[in-house]
Amino acid sequence: MASRYDRAITVFSPDGHLFQVEYAQEAVKKGSTAVGIRGTDIVVLGVEKKSVAKLQDERTVRKICVLDDHVCMAFAGLTADARVVINRARVECQSHKLTVEDPVTVEYITRFIATLKQKYTQSNGRRPFGIAALIVGFDDDGIPRLYQTDPSGTYHAWKANAIGRSAKTVREFLEKNYTEDAIANDSEAIKLAIRALLEVVQSGGKNIDLAIIRRNQPLKMFSAKEIELQVTEIEKEKEEAEKKKSKKSASS
Amino acid sequence: MNSGVWEEVGRAGLWNEWCGAKAAADLAPAEASCIFYRLRSGPSVLLCQCSCYVAEDQQFPWLEKVFGSRPRRDVQVTVLTCRHVTDYKSPESPGSLPTPFLRALKTRAETEPPGCPPLEQPNIAHDLPAAVLSFCQVWKVPAVLYLCYTDVMKLDLLTAEAFRPALSSQSLRGLAQDVPQSRECLKRLAATDEVQSNIYT
Repeated sequence: MASRYDRAITVFSPDGHLFQVEYAQEAVKKGSTAVGIRGTDIVVLGVEKKSVAKLQDERTVRKICVLDDHVCMAFAGLTADARVVINRARVECQSHKLTVEDPVTVEYITRFIATLKQKYTQSNGRRPFGIAALIVGFDDDGIPRLYQTDPSGTYHAWKANAIGRSAKTVREFLEKNYTEDAIANDSEAIKLAIRALLEVVQSGGKNIDLAIIRRNQPLKMFSAKEIELQVTEIEKEKEEAEKKKSKKSASS
Repeated sequence: MNSGVWEEVGRAGLWNEWCGAKAAADLAPAEASCIFYRLRSGPSVLLCQCSCYVAEDQQFPWLEKVFGSRPRRDVQVTVLTCRHVTDYKSPESPGSLPTPFLRALKTRAETEPPGCPPLEQPNIAHDLPAAVLSFCQVWKVPAVLYLCYTDVMKLDLLTAEAFRPALSSQSLRGLAQDVPQSRECLKRLAATDEVQSNIYT
């Protein structure tokens, strides 16, 4: 049945599927994992870095992009589609600032991106954007925000979410470990993001990129050294927790 | 496979439209699509690594060449293969399935239950793995097929680890070793395949 209704984006199948949109969701899963955490005073974006070819400039392969001073985005899926969406979003951020003399809210720019994506699910001759995005930032009211969009053009606010390959595994980890204690302070929120990624990243800290935004501060990208330090701390804490556990079970 | 544990004992080449332009006779030894190995420490253990598509009309001659025209019933056959999770038919959407996951199919002659859930209907095995299982069913050879549904179609640590339940089966239990560096070895193997195209990020 799928083969008769999946060639043109504007055609519904008899059971209500838009197959091209669902196929675009599969393209998202081909991208590496990205995770977003909304803390109390911080938002964190962590991504699994792609391995780059030897002669490729690593700086040009980025999954985390700034949309404005107070908003940034991580994506998973088709690189070229992401570039188009990011460019449109950046222009919209500046246009909004010039027109109404206020920076965009995180929800506004997320809605803009989601509306753009939805248009491409309803136009003949076009295909949907093959990317999902995690958009984080702070609004003027100082409240941290995390939104997720997908190729269908839907968007939702999240406390924590993951997109890309193995997103389900990371989401399940977050569902178990996202607690008020886990985001009690900034460093705990950062560690939670790294721990979530370590569940699925094959080669440890050297394949992780991390970015944070704190209230009234611009985006900060962690260096490889800083990430390695965090990973070492996490591994230490894990060892200590396991030692405690084995002591407890030995004494009982 | 070049770790010294396995010894190459045979190669086979075949040609079809999916293999590329070269005819089987022109294939260099390095381009053989099926390579047979024997475990040095246990010469009764043979492994066939098939990296090409075997067309439907080539499957039976291939099986006859490998198993012989009268296959022995005292052999144990285990087949490991992967398919993309979108081929898995279930009431749940592919996005909500816990990929990667393992399913098994076995012949009637195989009495031991496999180490993972059986493949549910209406899902079926395809291509050469299905042909091997059908051949073994007809000739009453104990065989089990482990089919891993995954959402990445390249070597990946998570997908490799999904086959772990297969190591608890009777046929593979004796071969499985809890080598501490097995995870590192897998990571290295996955890393060689890691430099991807730039289409997806």
